[in-house]
Amino acid sequence: MRRRRSSSVWMILPLYIFTIVFVAGPLIYMVALSFSQSAETFGVEWAFTLENYKKILEPVYLETFLESFQLALTSTAIICLLGYPFGYFMAKLSEGWKKKVMIFLMLPFWINSLIRLYGWIIILQNKGVLNFILQKLGIIEKPLRILYSYPAIVVGMVYVLLPFMILSVYSSAEKLDWSLVEAARDLGASKMKAFWTVSFKLTIPGLLSGIILTFIPSMGLFFIADILGGNKIVLVGSLIQEQMTRGNNWPFAAALAVVLMVLTTLMIVLYRRITNVKELEGIG
Amino acid sequence: MKRILAAAVCAVLAVPATALPVSAASDELVLFTWENMFPQEVLDGFEEETGIEIIYSNFDTDETMLEKLSMAEGGDYDIVIADDYILENVIQEGLAEKLDTSKLTGFENINPLYQGQFYDPTDEYTVPYGAGIPLIVYDPTMVDIEIKGYADLWDPSLEDSIALIANYRVINGITNMALGKSMNEEDVDSIKETGEKLLELAPNVRLIQDDNTQNALLNGEASVGFIYTSQVTAALAENPDLEVVYPEEGLGFGIMGMFIPSQAPNKDGAYQFMDYILQPEVAAQCFDYIGYYCTNKAADELVNPDLVVPDSVESGEIVQNVSEEANEQYSQNWTEFRAACD
Repeated sequence: MRRRRSSSVWMILPLYIFTIVFVAGPLIYMVALSFSQSAETFGVEWAFTLENYKKILEPVYLETFLESFQLALTSTAIICLLGYPFGYFMAKLSEGWKKKVMIFLMLPFWINSLIRLYGWIIILQNKGVLNFILQKLGIIEKPLRILYSYPAIVVGMVYVLLPFMILSVYSSAEKLDWSLVEAARDLGASKMKAFWTVSFKLTIPGLLSGIILTFIPSMGLFFIADILGGNKIVLVGSLIQEQMTRGNNWPFAAALAVVLMVLTTLMIVLYRRITNVKELEGIG
Repeated sequence: MKRILAAAVCAVLAVPATALPVSAASDELVLFTWENMFPQEVLDGFEEETGIEIIYSNFDTDETMLEKLSMAEGGDYDIVIADDYILENVIQEGLAEKLDTSKLTGFENINPLYQGQFYDPTDEYTVPYGAGIPLIVYDPTMVDIEIKGYADLWDPSLEDSIALIANYRVINGITNMALGKSMNEEDVDSIKETGEKLLELAPNVRLIQDDNTQNALLNGEASVGFIYTSQVTAALAENPDLEVVYPEEGLGFGIMGMFIPSQAPNKDGAYQFMDYILQPEVAAQCFDYIGYYCTNKAADELVNPDLVVPDSVESGEIVQNVSEEANEQYSQNWTEFRAACD
């Protein structure tokens, strides 16, 4: 008994060290950095200041947060509308088809997401595939200017994040006890009523974890706005990156990152309050 | 207390940083620069001549380079090529080796036009490797006006049609120049005015991008581009009918410089590499490949004539480091500008 216990400590120890060095360490560093000043030429001066946080309150930077939030909200809403039915009906497929659909879902992950986004440029550009088809079909006369616009960014976001929603709805719909739906039908509920009162409620955890898996990353995904949006929308992620690199202002970047982190944590807490679903723990 | 915390944090972070093993055999040379800075023949030629293997390591931006180099305390890399303004930081931070020019037989070949610059006034640390001038390029079949300078970019007829590089100091700089000011204006109030002027440019902007910006011109997404020299060359190679503008307000100038980090593991190899690149034939091959203005006088006759600065071009202004307040204002101008472009 005693021997077993000591060996299990050794099994866990690397995990603790890993967490402390690679998770807690950088986090503490980031928070400390956010209260320091950027040095005149390069790097950081370790002198306490609240200036970085004060700077975030300037309208231009507040708007950046708002813009990121709106984009994340729009993308997540579209992803819910597309991903929920997909995942739900996927769970109803026969075993063979489930496997096939799963392969098609996973296939794009074998290719780097940047390359896939460049593929979208070819589709969306002025002389691109989409405009070509629409013009040939006589739907439009002049090519649409979709690339480097807001809709193009939303398309990219939805494209990149949709699988996460589908998979999490699918996994919760698959666990669904269909006999409950049958029972509801036997007791006289219409198809719709049975769906809303039984199936939907039981798949809410999947939907919510899907929302977390898409909403939180979409707050930080900036390269989509860079590639498909032509850098014309400033998101928190791209602001952080710019301040880290060109702007040479690490403390401000750290402060932005801390605020973003606090906001996303708050959202997870909020979700849990609303739903009180214990399974959501450990997902964020 | 904060200091103690900071020190503790540094100590924690120092562990993973120093734990990274870096191999540094004398038959290896770690070259640290952007992608595609040398033709393969030149790299192969050097390896054949000296038997030293080149390890080509990339960075995306100058700032990343400085970040990595300062974390390595001037070690890890043997040769670095980066932009002028960052070289000033590198030298100030003591990360560059003072050059022993007696080891560089080709040192005399350098075009003096590119020497004695602000970042290295006495040419003690750097050897120029190409000069860039961001220029306006436009497609005359798609543009109704004749573009002569930066101020023309504000013309209302160019709505939603300009492709810009994503360099906040350069874009602020040309706005300064359009207003008749210096690229390196330091007065914060004046920079705020620049920001207001810059906002007026927003409706004309189609995209802002640093990489392959010329593609937008070539595939018809944009009809005007303010792009880097290498991109100008690439665009012209694809479509010779594009019009190149040397803006009448003056040029924004940039020089790339080669230096040896202060703690370079293979300094001898680094000197050999520098000297190899300074040979006129090799230099010409390099500039033809990277498409930057030739900084090697001896190579002028060998290189593509488009890459030799014409006499009519008066030397322009280089973007230099400005005070922290000024820099912050430029940075804020830029964020406001980008947000307004949507």
